[in-house]
Amino acid sequence: MELTDADLIARVLANDDQHAFGELVRRHQSSVRGLLRQLTRTDIALADDLAQETFLRAYKSIRSFRGEARFSTWLYRIAYNCFREDARKRKELVGVDEAQLQAEHDPQTVDPGLRHDLMHALNLLPLNERTAVVLCCQNGLSHDEAARVLDIPLGTVKTNILRGREKLKRTLAA
Amino acid sequence: MNPMIDDETLDRQLREAAPYIDDEGFTARVMATLPAAQREPRWLRAMVLLGLAILGSGIAYVLSGGFIREGVIQLSNFPIWLLLVFAFGCGLVVGAFAVIFAIRKTPEVRDLTRLEF
Repeated sequence: MELTDADLIARVLANDDQHAFGELVRRHQSSVRGLLRQLTRTDIALADDLAQETFLRAYKSIRSFRGEARFSTWLYRIAYNCFREDARKRKELVGVDEAQLQAEHDPQTVDPGLRHDLMHALNLLPLNERTAVVLCCQNGLSHDEAARVLDIPLGTVKTNILRGREKLKRTLAA
Repeated sequence: MNPMIDDETLDRQLREAAPYIDDEGFTARVMATLPAAQREPRWLRAMVLLGLAILGSGIAYVLSGGFIREGVIQLSNFPIWLLLVFAFGCGLVVGAFAVIFAIRKTPEVRDLTRLEF
């Protein structure tokens, strides 16, 4: 039987079991790196550096994880904080770059052209709307969870998603 | 110009467009950066706690000025059934605290009982 995230966290807490933490990293690396790639506008090297920092911070502060939210939600919050701190340092919170998309991992279910259009449209959104859309629409977080990750009011999350969706639809329809 | 799609379709397309990112050594790189597991042996922790408990008891006894000694002598004069009831009561109180502490530390149980702590 496969261990749950809670089982693995319990092992890390009880015995400082780094193998258990490694399993947690393996499980969540794709979603955390994916989120950071969206936030950094597909700067893969930067996103992976931030993802590495995210998991390092998670390991160091895992005793503060109280189990009130999903482990992935807690990781997203750390990842978002890492991104914000880095962006503040770089002063790149504003500005729009052309998306440079990686095609080698394209899932078969989506037309590559449509995927390119979607990712391009997503990267044109302002950071606050893009982040909310990626967390909720792409990663399946509830509005409440996204509000906790981003540390903003629930109403702001809903507004950002509404605006983000409308802009995406308009871009895709154009 | 393409027709506007609905929210559900847009969300589905966004989910499907998010690629699974292969690990490709990422986990190994993270593991290499983790600080070495440092943990004092359990026996050491137990000895420290025991030592502190004995020290605290000793200090309390000395500072009480014979109060505790007299209390113990008085207690020994009580009937055995009363001592048993007293011990049982103490056990219940300690047990109740232990259960509350365990619930606070166990998210699954906390969710199950839907208690806010």
